[in-house]
Amino acid sequence: METRPNHAQETIVDDAYMPPSLSPWRETWRLLRQNSMALIGLVIFMFFFGIALTGMLLTSGDAPILDPAQIRLQEKLRPPLARPNLETLQPAEVPELGIYLLGTDDLGRDVFARMLQGAWVSLTVGFVAVAIAVAIGIFLGGLSGYYGQEYIQVIQIVMVLIAGVALWLAATHAWPGAVFLAIGGAAGWLLYRRYAGGSKKSATPDALRWLSRPIMSVDTLIMRLVDIMLCFPSFFLILTVVALLPPSLYNIMVVIGLTSWMGTTRFVRAEFLSLREQDFVAAARALGISDMRIIFRHIMPNAVAPVLVSATLGIASAMLTEAGLSFLGFGVPPPHATWGNILSDGKDFIFDAPWLTFAPGIVILVVVLAFNLFGEGLRDILNPKLRKRT
Amino acid sequence: MLSFLGRSVIQKTITLFFVSVVSFLIIHLAPGEPSQIDPLNPKFTPEIVERMRKEFHLDRPLHIQYLLFYRDLFTGKTVSWRDNLPVLGKIWDRFLNSLPLFIVGTLLTWTFSFPVGIRSAIQRDGPYDKSMTFLAYLLISIPGFFFAYILIILVVTELHVPVIGMESFGVTSESKIVQIMDRIWHLVLPSFLGATGGIAVLSRYVRSQMLEIIGQDYVRTARAKGLAPERVYYHHALRNALLPFVTMFGLILPGLIGGSVIIESIFSWPGMGRMAYEAILARDYPVILTLNFITAVLVLLGTLISDLLYMLVDPRIRL
Amino acid sequence: MIGIIMNIRRFLIAAPAIITVILLLSYFWVPTYEDQTRGNPDRLKQYLTATIGDATILNPILSADSASSQIEGLVFEGLIDRNEDLSFRGRVAHSWRIYEHAYFFLREQAPTARWGQVDAGSLVARLKEAMTGPDWEHVKAIDLIASKTIPQNITLSEDGIEHTIAVQIQTPAQIRLTLDKVDQLLFEKLAPLLGKDYFADFNPADYVHAQSDIESSRLTALAGQVLSPTTHNPIIEFYLRPGVMFHDGQPVTAEDVQFTYQSIVNPKNLSPRIPDYEPVQSVEVVDPLTVRIIYKRLYSPALGTWAMGILPKHLLDAQALEAEARKRGQAPETFTMRQSTFSRHPIGSGPFKFGEWRSDQYIRLNRFDGYWEGPPNYQQYVMRIIPDPLTQEMEFYAGTIDDYSVLPHQVARLKQDERFQSFSGTAFGYSYIGYNSRRPPFDDPRVRRALGMAIDKHKIMEYVLYGQAEPITGPFVKQTDYYNHAIAPLPYDPEAAVDLLAEAGWVRGKDGFLQKEGRRLAFTLITNNGNPIRKAILAIAQDAWKKIGIQVETDLLEWSVFIQKRVNQLDFDAVVLAWSMGIEPDLFQIWHSSQSNPFQLNFVGFRNAEADDLILKIRREYDHPTQVAYSHRLHEIIADEQPYTFLFVNRWTALLDRRIVRQLTAADGSVVYKLIEPTKLGTYTFNFNQWIKLPQAPALAP
Repeated sequence: METRPNHAQETIVDDAYMPPSLSPWRETWRLLRQNSMALIGLVIFMFFFGIALTGMLLTSGDAPILDPAQIRLQEKLRPPLARPNLETLQPAEVPELGIYLLGTDDLGRDVFARMLQGAWVSLTVGFVAVAIAVAIGIFLGGLSGYYGQEYIQVIQIVMVLIAGVALWLAATHAWPGAVFLAIGGAAGWLLYRRYAGGSKKSATPDALRWLSRPIMSVDTLIMRLVDIMLCFPSFFLILTVVALLPPSLYNIMVVIGLTSWMGTTRFVRAEFLSLREQDFVAAARALGISDMRIIFRHIMPNAVAPVLVSATLGIASAMLTEAGLSFLGFGVPPPHATWGNILSDGKDFIFDAPWLTFAPGIVILVVVLAFNLFGEGLRDILNPKLRKRT
Repeated sequence: MLSFLGRSVIQKTITLFFVSVVSFLIIHLAPGEPSQIDPLNPKFTPEIVERMRKEFHLDRPLHIQYLLFYRDLFTGKTVSWRDNLPVLGKIWDRFLNSLPLFIVGTLLTWTFSFPVGIRSAIQRDGPYDKSMTFLAYLLISIPGFFFAYILIILVVTELHVPVIGMESFGVTSESKIVQIMDRIWHLVLPSFLGATGGIAVLSRYVRSQMLEIIGQDYVRTARAKGLAPERVYYHHALRNALLPFVTMFGLILPGLIGGSVIIESIFSWPGMGRMAYEAILARDYPVILTLNFITAVLVLLGTLISDLLYMLVDPRIRL
Repeated sequence: MIGIIMNIRRFLIAAPAIITVILLLSYFWVPTYEDQTRGNPDRLKQYLTATIGDATILNPILSADSASSQIEGLVFEGLIDRNEDLSFRGRVAHSWRIYEHAYFFLREQAPTARWGQVDAGSLVARLKEAMTGPDWEHVKAIDLIASKTIPQNITLSEDGIEHTIAVQIQTPAQIRLTLDKVDQLLFEKLAPLLGKDYFADFNPADYVHAQSDIESSRLTALAGQVLSPTTHNPIIEFYLRPGVMFHDGQPVTAEDVQFTYQSIVNPKNLSPRIPDYEPVQSVEVVDPLTVRIIYKRLYSPALGTWAMGILPKHLLDAQALEAEARKRGQAPETFTMRQSTFSRHPIGSGPFKFGEWRSDQYIRLNRFDGYWEGPPNYQQYVMRIIPDPLTQEMEFYAGTIDDYSVLPHQVARLKQDERFQSFSGTAFGYSYIGYNSRRPPFDDPRVRRALGMAIDKHKIMEYVLYGQAEPITGPFVKQTDYYNHAIAPLPYDPEAAVDLLAEAGWVRGKDGFLQKEGRRLAFTLITNNGNPIRKAILAIAQDAWKKIGIQVETDLLEWSVFIQKRVNQLDFDAVVLAWSMGIEPDLFQIWHSSQSNPFQLNFVGFRNAEADDLILKIRREYDHPTQVAYSHRLHEIIADEQPYTFLFVNRWTALLDRRIVRQLTAADGSVVYKLIEPTKLGTYTFNFNQWIKLPQAPALAP
């Protein structure tokens, strides 16, 4: 957090809590260099990221340099490093590299080009799914940790229900009902605020008092939501939803994301709970800094470490989940090639064309391993308790 | 204690209710209908399809269907749409098939994780620790079905023994010991594959728990006092490091009814996961919903047990 | 203290070690594949096969999946089945007779064309005189049926509301012609004698009197439903083989046949086979070994439906079910055949009797020694359930499965293999691209033809299916004689396709895409996911069409979404799909124009008046050569119209251990071995009862 704050007041606060010597990022980097496995993981990951990026550039567009969709049926199941049979190919069909680096598949498509294209898609699936999960996790976890003690009142639930019904009516084009409900709801809310919502509890008419009765805390609500989600076995939940929905790249990313936010929520909440009681937060609050600013400038940077670790591990597991779904035939549908679906398509040919199984299998293994090792290293580095005393 | 129990039971019942509603909605609002109602089979006229839907109550409003389903479930009358067998009986059969896999898998996970994790923590950053870390992550980074195929092909071509199914085909007439050993052999690969993830995760967890305890002042004091390292680690540290794991026993519970579709399909294991998967494909709602309900009950029961265990072992916690 | 610590350490190391040792030790007890196959003499008397999915319900009238019907085919037996040449042969029935009763109402007031105004009695006499010669050789009897009065309650459904109306039907006198052969043109042939409009002018409303007031137009409609001027009642009489037994020792009788029919049409049983039996008017038990089936109307596929396995009445009738319900403590009113344990322990009269069913593991059948044709050679038939195709393949190589359905890409490799014998044949079904002809540009047959010509079907067959497919030009099963072999397949000719499209108004625009009136030729081709071959076709078609300037999007959808949201709602441009066919040439549901509404099977919206007429005629024709002639013409029309691009029909290849042969006993009592051969039925298991596995592969000339 190197940005210079604008307010003089904050400067004081920030400076007071700055570590004296190195910035946290430098410190992390220093520790990372000591942890060789994490470093290797990072390097491999960066390497594949680069490959995925160039792969995307090389294989997309109208006339890609390496066309992963080019079908050459007469060249099917050629082994790796085979040279194309130039007599049987039309000029447009000749592979750009002049050689099938990883062989061809059952339709004569260049496996290398497909792997390149798949790299980007596979990484996207992992990243987007985890981004969704982490976003939901941070939002709900933060809400629960920071505002957890606030109570939800009957009136709020009523208002949410009214809004929901109004939206539903609007979605089904029942406009008069929707408008009526929206106006009625708004009017009711204003009336309630006028007569009952004030700070003077005694002024609330008895008839309306039940409306302001607290039902449960925000924390309870969110934690029960987490409990409900945890009651579904995650792979089966994903499988059910993916099996029931039309298959698409986006559905798979969203579904994996929507079913894996619970862990993040839980420990973001735990971090927030402990951090909000810390002195520096109390000091910030005493200085009259707004909640949002406290959350984003003071608490979040301290809570981000475990999120980062779980996100890294989450990407790894999302990529494996995608491969598992592909095995069952519910993976990312074509035209998108992913490592998962190249692998599961290849398994039918394991005796006739083993490279179709081994190339994607080994690549998935290496990349997922890289993520896991990096995540594990990060965990060690970012956890001060586990830091080696030097 | 009792009030805690009462409170959590009520809370968990409410959660269970919401779970049942949510799962019911997911299943019923999603597109597609049970495979018994196959519209592209020329033999199915619209009248038959209509009658089938009526038979399955699919023509009733959702909330009625919900009530009918749970009435049947609690009176034990639910039958699968696919083959008209009672769902609870089906689940019980599959449960018995999955149980050995679960037991061996859990045994492997728990017995391997502790020694590996503890030794890694003691020899932190030494070659043992590093190679174990690497191995653990290697095992969980292989796509499961890829690994399974490689193992099966290796065993079948190198050792010439059967690996799929619950037992070798046709050994029923052999002696008892052969039968038992044969069954155990068939457990080896699938339970190992099922346990890899668990071993990796749990051994890492054991390691970090141990590290945390080893870093505590009292352990360092003990070491400084000149106590033998063995004694410090295995007596003082281990006891405290084990505490959180006691609570994990409760969390094993849902695993009883889970099961990996992929492993079970590849190994032709007639287990729970495959039944659930086939039920999803055939849109066999009674089976899906019943399984989901039982899983939810087990999850909630598991958390309750782990809370209680925590209270028992850690006198500081008073809920 | 130290001791405890050492113990903890020891325990931590010993526990995993012991578990590992126990697990790995078990290896030494496992029988190897050699023990299982070679060293086990019982294995030779056992036939092992595998399926991907478990059976669901082992009752032939209720099941709809292939695993169940595979088992049912061995446990149950129908009255008839088909032999090697696809003609019928007797099983439970040793012979049968098809004849017809044809009825028409007399119109006393109307003059006949030949004899003018005649009364009923003399008309019969005149008809008898006139009906001589080759045209009438099949008419065996002419009878007069006197008029009668029938009170009846008729339920009429109108806009979804059901009315019940009490009516009095005063039927006029009727003439019944008995023919020893079904003749759908009988009444047309009567026209020269009786007059062209003798039947058409018959007014049913004259003979139906409603008890309550009813509009005359509705009465007319209603009368038309109950009284038809002419009726064909084809009749099949089956003569059952004496001495055929169910596996529990009870004889198979006509009662059981009648019961099987009643169970199928009983709405409580929800049988998916109702449509096949809907044309049946009644099934009568003539004597214990004779059953007579009377049809409401001409329906030529009727005979084939009696290959349905016969259920034992004594185990499944109302009393038996009620007893079972009581025994299991369930309400007898709601207890049906579907709930009965019979479906898990079936009893039929087939060559194998049911042994054991372990869900998702195996189904074991034992041979039935009392089988009327003599027991099969194999002692046991076991169907193992192995969901993963790759493990299935490995088990086959290891010898713990006897047959294996080869995937196309493996054929070349495995046909060479010394250990196996292979069979191949043409499958009963075809893959196609169907065009929604309600939508432009598919309403133009030239466009459909051009699209078909742009696709190199041979390339698909050769490379996607590794040569395991054949071209097909129309909707009939290729190995039947209904298929018109004179029709040439659509050629692969992209240039001609471009010309044809130009003729239809689609010309290449500046952007390289075909255009007509400023609109680009663009559409979406969809299919279901989970089928790699369809996925490949999707990619190839898209690529081929792109080359001639058509912009094609493709989409893969989950099966039920694909069918229910797209195909059934007719919301698609073009689909890749496949039909699997029966031998019967009945195309009504898939090709008749009345079947083109949402949720019906003519989803491409094919309509052609001549085709409609032919489809109905084929259904009604009992004479095989005539049926073949109609089918050939229908095939021609469909090939002209190209509502589908007919892609290919698969070839199947199956492998068997080379040691499996047919074992026959010759007349002199000596044992003869013969090679197994595939039949036109699309299987190689036709003579399964004669199969046996030998310890050594015999040297037999093919």
